[in-house]
Amino acid sequence: MTTLTAGISPVLAPAFAHSVLPDLATTRFKRRLDIEFTGSGSEYFRIWVVNLLLTLVTLGLYLPFAKARRLSYFYANTQVDGQALAFHGNPWRMFRGFVLLALLMLAYGVAGRFSPVAGLIAFGLLCAVWPALWRAGLQFRLSNTSWRGLRLGFRGDLIGAYRCMLPTYLPAMLMVVCQFLWAPRGQQPPEDPAFYAVVTFGPLLLLFALLPWGLALLKRYQHGGYVFADQQTRLSASIASFYGLGLKGMLVSLGPIVLAGIGAAVLIPLAQSGALSKVAALVFIAGLALLAYLLFFVITMSYFGARLQNLVWCKTGSAALQFDSQLSARALAWLNLKNWVLTGVTLGLYRPFAAINTLQLRLSAMKVTVDADIDAWVAQAGAAQHDATGEAAGDFFGIDMGL
Amino acid sequence: MSPSQPRLQLDYFDGHSARPQAAEIWLSDGHLHLSAGAEAQYAAGDVRWPERQRHGQRQAQLPDGGLLSCADAAAWDAWAQGSGLRDSVTVRWMQSWRRVLLALVLLLALVFAAWRWGAPLAAGLIVRALPASVEQQIGSQALDYLDQHWLKPSMLHLARREQITKRFEQLVRASEPDRPPLRYQLHFRAGDRQLGPNAFALPGGEIVLTDALVELLHDSPDALQGVLAHELGHVHHQHGLRMAFQAGLIGALAGLVVGDFSAVLAGLPALLAQQAYSRDFEREADMQAYQMLGRDGVSPRVMLQFFERVAAIEARQGAAPQLLSSHPATPERIAYFSQ
Repeated sequence: MTTLTAGISPVLAPAFAHSVLPDLATTRFKRRLDIEFTGSGSEYFRIWVVNLLLTLVTLGLYLPFAKARRLSYFYANTQVDGQALAFHGNPWRMFRGFVLLALLMLAYGVAGRFSPVAGLIAFGLLCAVWPALWRAGLQFRLSNTSWRGLRLGFRGDLIGAYRCMLPTYLPAMLMVVCQFLWAPRGQQPPEDPAFYAVVTFGPLLLLFALLPWGLALLKRYQHGGYVFADQQTRLSASIASFYGLGLKGMLVSLGPIVLAGIGAAVLIPLAQSGALSKVAALVFIAGLALLAYLLFFVITMSYFGARLQNLVWCKTGSAALQFDSQLSARALAWLNLKNWVLTGVTLGLYRPFAAINTLQLRLSAMKVTVDADIDAWVAQAGAAQHDATGEAAGDFFGIDMGL
Repeated sequence: MSPSQPRLQLDYFDGHSARPQAAEIWLSDGHLHLSAGAEAQYAAGDVRWPERQRHGQRQAQLPDGGLLSCADAAAWDAWAQGSGLRDSVTVRWMQSWRRVLLALVLLLALVFAAWRWGAPLAAGLIVRALPASVEQQIGSQALDYLDQHWLKPSMLHLARREQITKRFEQLVRASEPDRPPLRYQLHFRAGDRQLGPNAFALPGGEIVLTDALVELLHDSPDALQGVLAHELGHVHHQHGLRMAFQAGLIGALAGLVVGDFSAVLAGLPALLAQQAYSRDFEREADMQAYQMLGRDGVSPRVMLQFFERVAAIEARQGAAPQLLSSHPATPERIAYFSQ
């Protein structure tokens, strides 16, 4: 059967090619598993249109069913070593989670509209349950994903989910408390400007400084909990490497800021000099701002997106599995620019093509090397069903698998 | 088992081992039969069948955790058709370009209808169901916020303020003699240069007017009353709350379409829709002002003075194009009050 041999390509480390034969017991099974994405933009466009129509007709209630179909399509088109992934999520379970979360978000939105204090309490409650929801979402997604008939799993514990949020949560809480205690009321200036600056910008700076650390803990927790058969992954990336990514990203993002500044310095006086009418100048400056905004996000988001994927997946592995990702930030930036412009020009109709193109690029950069006989792998006991609320939460807040 | 039933060779995974097994399947009497070393059968209704697509592998999920995987999608489709497995209606729509185009047209019509009628209707229902006390609380909180950050106490003489308030009371009573009067409250405030001559209504009937507006219309008290009547129109139709809910609904709608892609892109239609709704509201409020002035025996043409003076200010500062504007174009409003 062709499917059994497709995509098998033995990996030989360069050293082995010249020296003595490797020890057969450890490398007999060592090979690279190719990852191939076969989804088509035009087909996904048709799925998307029908899904969207059904979602609007049902006032959003069809959303979980649409999502199950979307994931099934993506999974059936993601082939690892010639075998596609399979999505097992039950849309009715997802529907329950979706309704629960929609009610939660509605309560949150309404509370904020009616009173700032109620909004603050609702925000606090949301923050308190958020790590648990996030973990439940990972559990649901992984345990409903299978490859070669075996379910994946997520084994991160509940305390870990809360612990890895601390570097983000603590400065944020400090910020809220400082604002609540010392923010100036009304129009009277603060009595002590220096003190006011410290309590306002101190927590913000702290949050900013701890961000890479928080991201590192988050990714370590996430990539330390993936399970397949008897393999549990771990992330060996150092915290320093996340700070390195953050610093380089800031440098990269300086480029578009400087460019936009130069553009503004040259063009705004030109517009004010009377060469253009007031309205034309307004439209001109707004267009320029939009362009700068687009460029800024295309460059910084693509840089962070590509480098984070590479950093995280190159350092993810288990006893017999090693992942690798070589995604080019430049390729992702060009793709993002094209996707954004075309999505804007077509008023959103290009959206499904953009989704397929992005997945295609991101997945084709990935590789897995395995050093074991996969045929001998068996499912571990206790691959339980999990609550779908977290999955829905992940959707609401845009949490994904970092891929 | 009838020999005529088509059979398909594929990979079978039992859900416990990652080892693929060569298997053969066929459908008969409403059951899926599986032959992979041993034989098994499952009620066809318990199997999660794949949806037909052009791309990707076909995978059928068995109720016991097993998985059938067929890399040759065309072979699977031929087998499924020969075995009498029917595509769902949704799948048949998704596989036909003609129906997808029809769905797209329906979708656009639906989005337009939701924008034009759905959101205003839903917002109207929500606003009417909201207790008056809640609306008043929202309004007074908004006023507190504005007082803290934007507005300063009025510098006008108390007598002048009372004169304006009394005159407006008369106007309101004259326009609605048999109905209980609408709850409203005039607030005199001074604003910065940016705010300029201005009046606005908050939920719950709080109407704020700036000193600069009173100065602008110092020689035309009837025009000032017209502006206040316009604001009372906003109060009467609960425009402030309606706008919040309508814009929220449109934002949610846009979020469904492109929200997971770009928050900016999702925010843009909401912003444009908000401006369009706002122009509708202004027309409604103008209608109220027109009627109230008329019932009090004042010619609605007094409003022209107001528009002329505002137009003079706008000419000095430059006006935004219609698409981005929250009010109807001034010539349109002048024509309305000239009738």
